[in-house]
Amino acid sequence: MHILQTQDLKKYYGAGDTQVKALDGVDLAVEQGEFVAIVGTSGSGKSTLLHMLGGLDRPTSGRVTVDGQEIFSLGEEALTIFRRRKIGFVFQAYNLVPVLSVRENIVLPIQLDGRAVDEAFVREVVATLGLEKKLQSLPSQLSGGQQQRVAIARALAAKPAILLADEPTGNLDSKTSQDVLGLMKVTGQKFGQTMVMITHNEEIAQMADRIVRIEDGRIVTR
Amino acid sequence: MNISNRGCIRRLSVRALLASRTRNVVAVLAIALTALLFTSLFTIALSINEGMQQNNFRQAGGFAHGSFKYLTEEEFDQLKEHPLIEAWGLRRFLGMPTGAPFHKSHVEVGYSDSSEAHWTYCDPVEGRLPAEGTQEAATDTHVLELLGITPALGAEFTLTFEVDGRETTQTFTLCGWWEYDEAVVANHVLIPESRVDAILAEVGVTPPGRDGMTGSWNLDVMLEHGARSISADLDEILADYGCQTQDPAAPGYIATGVNWGYTGAQLSDRLDPSVVLVIGVMLALILFTGYLIIYNVFQISVAGDIRFYGLLKTIGTTPRQIRRIIRIQALILSAAGIPAGLALGWLVGGVLTPFITAQLNDVTPTVSVSPVLFGASALFALGTVLISCRRPGRLAGRVSPVEAVRYTEGGAPRRRISRKGKGVSLFSMAWANLGRSRGKTAITVLSLCLAVVLLTLTVTFAAGFDMDKYTAHFTATDFILADAGKLQVGSVGFNRGMAVTEETIAAVNAQGGITESARVYGQTKGMNEFIPEERFIANNSQWYSEESLKWLMDHTQRSEAGLLADGVQLCGMEPFALDHLTVLEGDLEKLKEPGGNWIAAVYQEDDYGAPVWESNWAKLGDTVTIRYIEEFEYWDNATGEIIPIDQVGAAYEAGRSITSYAKTYRDVDYTVAALVTVPTALSYRYYGDDSFILNDQTFIRDSGTADVMYYAFDTTDEANAGMESFLKDYTENVNPQLDYESKATFAGEFASIRGMFLLLGGALSFIVGLVGVLNFANAILTGITARRRELAVLQSIGMTARQLRAMLALEGLLYTAGAVALALGLILISAPFLGPALNRMIWFFSYHFTLWPVGVVLPLFAVLGVGIPVLTSWAAQRTPVVERLRQE
Repeated sequence: MHILQTQDLKKYYGAGDTQVKALDGVDLAVEQGEFVAIVGTSGSGKSTLLHMLGGLDRPTSGRVTVDGQEIFSLGEEALTIFRRRKIGFVFQAYNLVPVLSVRENIVLPIQLDGRAVDEAFVREVVATLGLEKKLQSLPSQLSGGQQQRVAIARALAAKPAILLADEPTGNLDSKTSQDVLGLMKVTGQKFGQTMVMITHNEEIAQMADRIVRIEDGRIVTR
Repeated sequence: MNISNRGCIRRLSVRALLASRTRNVVAVLAIALTALLFTSLFTIALSINEGMQQNNFRQAGGFAHGSFKYLTEEEFDQLKEHPLIEAWGLRRFLGMPTGAPFHKSHVEVGYSDSSEAHWTYCDPVEGRLPAEGTQEAATDTHVLELLGITPALGAEFTLTFEVDGRETTQTFTLCGWWEYDEAVVANHVLIPESRVDAILAEVGVTPPGRDGMTGSWNLDVMLEHGARSISADLDEILADYGCQTQDPAAPGYIATGVNWGYTGAQLSDRLDPSVVLVIGVMLALILFTGYLIIYNVFQISVAGDIRFYGLLKTIGTTPRQIRRIIRIQALILSAAGIPAGLALGWLVGGVLTPFITAQLNDVTPTVSVSPVLFGASALFALGTVLISCRRPGRLAGRVSPVEAVRYTEGGAPRRRISRKGKGVSLFSMAWANLGRSRGKTAITVLSLCLAVVLLTLTVTFAAGFDMDKYTAHFTATDFILADAGKLQVGSVGFNRGMAVTEETIAAVNAQGGITESARVYGQTKGMNEFIPEERFIANNSQWYSEESLKWLMDHTQRSEAGLLADGVQLCGMEPFALDHLTVLEGDLEKLKEPGGNWIAAVYQEDDYGAPVWESNWAKLGDTVTIRYIEEFEYWDNATGEIIPIDQVGAAYEAGRSITSYAKTYRDVDYTVAALVTVPTALSYRYYGDDSFILNDQTFIRDSGTADVMYYAFDTTDEANAGMESFLKDYTENVNPQLDYESKATFAGEFASIRGMFLLLGGALSFIVGLVGVLNFANAILTGITARRRELAVLQSIGMTARQLRAMLALEGLLYTAGAVALALGLILISAPFLGPALNRMIWFFSYHFTLWPVGVVLPLFAVLGVGIPVLTSWAAQRTPVVERLRQE
């Protein structure tokens, strides 16, 4: 069974002469536990695709099914709730809540959902990512690599069906990039986590189980 | 929603709030200012209202809810035990001194228990109330002054007063006194109850005496239900003892009184729709101002935090949770802002109110501290806050997470602006910056504009008070000289003893400087007019029940034509007084003809000068028959016998029902030459009978009397002050029975009313102006902080700091220009409606269009418009460009 599937996904901006086809009929399927890298140049539509996969933006047409749920059939409120339960995000800009501590950031999606935090699991994730000593720090007190590890921990802590990463190493130097990505892959394998990552960096992409290339809104290689 | 995520939302909310201190200060300030606006307004309004009520109590003589009058001791002991009565006080009236030096004062001698004394403002500031079984008495400083006694405990004084018509002279020992209060009509000399009984025995009066009140027991009560249903409660109490207060003729009658100071009816009478509308609009304007500022603060802060909300959404915060985050922040900010605003508002109101009430003659200075005031203000402010954060909350909840990251205020321009190759000027950038967030710009401009409009309104209002209209209402001529009773208590009738003598007139004339003068002769003998039954009923129905009116008509003389005789107010005026009449129809010149039989029919006018056509029956050309009565005849209604004139007094005292008829008289017919209205100052100053005016000669010829009711005259401007001081001295020392009115007196009164409105309106404008300026500052400040990164970008690509400041200053000026333009538009549009409405609302108002307040505000706003952005950007410059560029 595919944990993530898209069918003829389209996203057009504007109309007429100035119309931009950011996504033009994307069909993609990801298996449970798979680590997929989506690569493409700037403007190829890879970020748009990730936003669609995560339900952050609505497509012009087409379907996205996550864990058996057609996500755009959900209302705004329901989609948000679905998202925080099933999808974890890691962004290039980390997107940590600056006013909350590391630990608070990690458990925030779970708490927003009103669920009990699985302390043992969170401890394990934190330990795997090497953040034990930083739990009480604020994001601003951490280095970029540390911040991204916190973001990964946050994404994993809610035990999502899939983890979506948007240029997770885009703001990091190459050494740190390798470290973070290595950690991400290890953690993903350890927890059987399905992961979809966007990058323009071929070297980084090589670490994935499978590489999907996207150009002008279409998938060119599977 | 699950309980467990509450804490998390709250934490987020609080943390995010704490992160932006500058915005918090602005928001708390905005909320505090709104609360201040509401509180100070409510304080002022409630204080004036409470002051008016206090004043009513003082005029009514006390603040007991109601009273049972003229009781026997048994009735008193019975009634006071009723469970509806929460507290009671006893008063026993003994007598009044009427001779000099008390002829201009109302002084009562009697007993009041301690509650009653307190309720009637007799609280000794020195000493105490009189003790039983002593010769002690307590009174106020005015009575002591009239007696010529220096207030000192133990001082002896002698008072001559009438007890039920019998004069007695008594000596008392002063045991306490309180300050004289001008507003309290009655002055009291309080003596022990034992002394009341002793004096009654000494003069041989058994309560309630012939006048039905002397020495009787008056029970004043505070009711269990408060002031809500005084009249009904009094009725219920009486009913429980088988008594009633409706029909004086029926058994078990007990007279009652309801303290009119408690009745709200007076105010509601004055509230006609146009006044309600104006008050409503003012209130709405103020509420709206409060809403605008808070809304603006939240709108701007949400826009500033939009990325944060987008981020929260990507990690799974639902729109509802985001709205809650904003609401919690609003509540926290309110918790800080509202109490501060309440305290400040109360202080401002408290400081202003005494100033305002000091200007008002009819208001006792009080600062209201009713909890209702704070509750209402807090509720208003909180409501405003919650309403204001709803839309920003929706905006934050709706924003798409992806867009949030890219969000800039106002989004992309809706249409392309063609620049035609001119390039980008600072002005066009400033203009575009305002245009990209139209809502915020509109609100800022609107709130600034409201301040300008409100100020203009206040100035228009205060400047429109027309002194000529005001004084003309009270006095027709520069001076009017008359009996003190006539001038001070308008409802006093006129009699021969009150006439201004020719010696007095000669003395006044001898002062010189009089340009024109006139005597107004009043009626001092019996006179009747003859009117149809319908008119008779219309004139008298308000004084009599249907039954007694029928009886009265049966016992009233009729003319040969069957018309009924009724009382009439007739006066004779010399030409200068006639000149002050307003002619509604006809021609007064005929009236001035010597020896003519012309008459003018007087119509009343309402406060706005419109004639009340029901107030007289005579039309132009009608014949008015006046009966001048030389001698009356008195009939006993029961037996029909004629009572000799020298026995009438005794017969009245014996309680016989007597009717008087004209025995010898002369009827004179006059023709109505004009329908007129009379300035109050020259009229009888009370209503009741139909009123007519003759010229002086005809009046003297036909009535055979020449008693001057008023001597009215104008003086030259130079002689004015001299005449004022002459009359002051003359009426105080030479002939204290007389008193005078002058234009100057009323001009002073007018100035104080106007000053009160200026102060109130000024305070209001100031607060609203402050809100407007704060809103403006806030819009610019947050506009700059929210655009920090963008401004840094501009600088990084080569805009100098000077250019940047110029651009920001231009933005500020554009706000100002917009606000002033909008204000001008509003004022110009509203002027045609406002003028007539105000003229109708206040009778001494003459609307003048004015724009100068706009001119005054313009430079102030311009300075702020340039100053705030420049100062802010200066502060911002301290952070290096690179740093600012990096900021999210």
